[in-house]
Amino acid sequence: MRKINNIFYKIFILILIIIFIYSFSASYTSLNLDNLAFVVALGIDKSTSNKLKVTFQFIKPTPSSEGGSQTKPVLTSVECSSITNGINIMNAYLGKKVNLSHCKLIIFSEEIAKDGISDEIYSLINEVQIRPSANIIISKCNTKYYIENSVPSLESLIPKYYNIFPHSSEYTGYTCDATIGDFFNALVCNSCAPYAMLGGISSFNEDSSSNPESLNDSTIKSNESLVTGNRLSQNIGVAVFKNDKLAGELNAIETICFLNIRKQVDSFLVSIPDPENSNSKIDIYLTPNSTHNISVNIVNGTPYIKIKFDFSGKIYSMTKGSEYLNTDVLDSISTTCNKYLKEQFTNYLYKTATTFDSDINGFGVYSLSQFKTSTEFDDYNWLVNYKNSTFDVDINTVMDSGFLLTQT
Amino acid sequence: MVKQKISTISAIMLTLSIVVSYITSSLPRTFINESKSAAILNIVYITAIVLFIILLFCKLLKKFPGLDLLDISNFLGGNILKNIVGGFFIFYFILSSSLMLRNFCEGLSVVYYPLTSYVFVILMFIIALAISNRLGFISTLNTASIIFPLVLISAILLFCGNLDNFSFRRIYPILGDGFYNTFILGLKNIGSFGGICYLYFLPPMLKEPEKLKKIAIISVICTGAFILLCVATLLFMFSFFITTNEVMPLFSAARYIEFGSFFQRFESIFLLIWIISFCCYLSISCKFATHIFSKMFNLSDMKPLLTIFTILILGISLLPKNYAVSSSFETDFYRYLRIAIGYILGMLILILANLKKKKVGEKN
Repeated sequence: MRKINNIFYKIFILILIIIFIYSFSASYTSLNLDNLAFVVALGIDKSTSNKLKVTFQFIKPTPSSEGGSQTKPVLTSVECSSITNGINIMNAYLGKKVNLSHCKLIIFSEEIAKDGISDEIYSLINEVQIRPSANIIISKCNTKYYIENSVPSLESLIPKYYNIFPHSSEYTGYTCDATIGDFFNALVCNSCAPYAMLGGISSFNEDSSSNPESLNDSTIKSNESLVTGNRLSQNIGVAVFKNDKLAGELNAIETICFLNIRKQVDSFLVSIPDPENSNSKIDIYLTPNSTHNISVNIVNGTPYIKIKFDFSGKIYSMTKGSEYLNTDVLDSISTTCNKYLKEQFTNYLYKTATTFDSDINGFGVYSLSQFKTSTEFDDYNWLVNYKNSTFDVDINTVMDSGFLLTQT
Repeated sequence: MVKQKISTISAIMLTLSIVVSYITSSLPRTFINESKSAAILNIVYITAIVLFIILLFCKLLKKFPGLDLLDISNFLGGNILKNIVGGFFIFYFILSSSLMLRNFCEGLSVVYYPLTSYVFVILMFIIALAISNRLGFISTLNTASIIFPLVLISAILLFCGNLDNFSFRRIYPILGDGFYNTFILGLKNIGSFGGICYLYFLPPMLKEPEKLKKIAIISVICTGAFILLCVATLLFMFSFFITTNEVMPLFSAARYIEFGSFFQRFESIFLLIWIISFCCYLSISCKFATHIFSKMFNLSDMKPLLTIFTILILGISLLPKNYAVSSSFETDFYRYLRIAIGYILGMLILILANLKKKKVGEKN
């Protein structure tokens, strides 16, 4: 009897194994490397005939035995009514399953962003394969054109370039590391507004008659940059949203202000007027101290936002006769720097409030402590009242001479 | 039930393993949805209330050393009351574990097995449950004792790894939806401390029954701290859990953890730990239901019952038509069931039994 039981037990185990192999093989097959087409960038444009034009940038995975070198990326576009449908059509076209788990960039054209992108964002967030850390870019041009021109000049692998370039915001302050996770979080938030990286194609032509000197270093943004090189795509500036619609753009210096308020920049360079010579400028390398202080009070029903920043600065510009060990000279530069930054910050803040009417800085979160209950906060309607804000900016910069040279 | 007695540490891990399964499914979201920014305040308040209830529970149980709720029910109302109370608890243990299993597997299916029916994912857990039944209860407790510290580490890592994404000011407005919602309506969150229902049946199983008070207090404090850690992670990170419903909210938070460009996608490790912990929860629930049943009908051999209850869990977990039904059970019905059975029924029996004992004592 025991022997029969044992046989039955073994047959039962065998049947179970067969059932599981059969049932889980579908999921395994769908995730098999041979059956997947890996997308590294996804571009979404407005289409003339249908609602959307979705562009996929694929990479061909090459085995390490073949050197693992980068092959030319494949760009394919599809016109469709929704992103999900676009993926489905692409699955059929490729004969492979589109996999978004390595998608690092999601690019929306400026045109579609102006109409609102909440449907697309909700759909993408609902997709398990999309990582919340995927960067979101608003392209000033056609997204296909942007992706085509995003060929890395110094990296051999495109995904590596996509992974690295958003981090330049930490030491330049000219772009921001905006992710789809943060965008969605801000989209449904009642105390902040979403933002994205601003991308574009360089319009500057060395041979053209346009005068590059008319452009200021600190006011450049994507599409207006003075850079020429192998790669035409640029990512300078921030795309500002009001709810899900594109409300405006920030240039380089405004992006620096934005990143400082959000504490997302480690150091940055500014060019301030030379206190000794009004015709020339001094380049200062500034590092924000951790003593940033932002407070929001509701005064007579309107937000009163007080910002205090402390920076340590080092002087990059060095000319003959520089006396950067002289306290008076350093104090004079500090005062000029404070004045310059205060003006930039104030202009930027009033621009977000009055021009964009969008709290991308997330000041609403600082105002939460002013309310006893969530209902009180909801009734106040922060996002509507933000445009009435008054700003008080206090900047304190401490200059620490130059780098290797302190006096010439 | 078990020939070997349970150590104090194993008993604590047992109660904590219960709450892990709730937390990995939807408990933190429920806290945030209902209490909003006051979720943390609500957890502290609820922990204090449950601690008070637990102290009362220990005091009431003092007159019945080494006896569980079934023995006490028997003393209070004879066999009939014992069977009624036992029936309620079996219903609770089996129903809750089945529907929790269904929800967990639905989430798992969405995340990792898009083309596999959730039925097969549930079957995997049922096989794990069957194996743990064969290995014995002590092996389950030993696994829980190893896994819970890992779960705790994963929760701490989840908190610390997401510090960059936190906005601590989301704790304001401090009263959330107001005093009434936080402190009066928020009282229903005492149902989150699910381990309490299991404490009623622990005394006869303990190596040192006199340490029940210590076990209960440590369990409640650890449960409170664990819930606080997980809810705080979600509250400080996301603004959308108040309005949006996400499957497995802690999994969503785990997806954000990145240490440089090399250490990424930690959620797979977290999910593996949570799956093992969930298996422990299933095994514990099944064992407790079997224990109650065998005690109700004075059965000596529990092994055939374990198989029956395992199949019962499988059957009930397949009953809901879709995720919406099983999910609504978890958020709308489960807590009230836990409060009704775990707090009201259990405490009522203890109070009445104490009164009876006092009366009997006076007569003698």
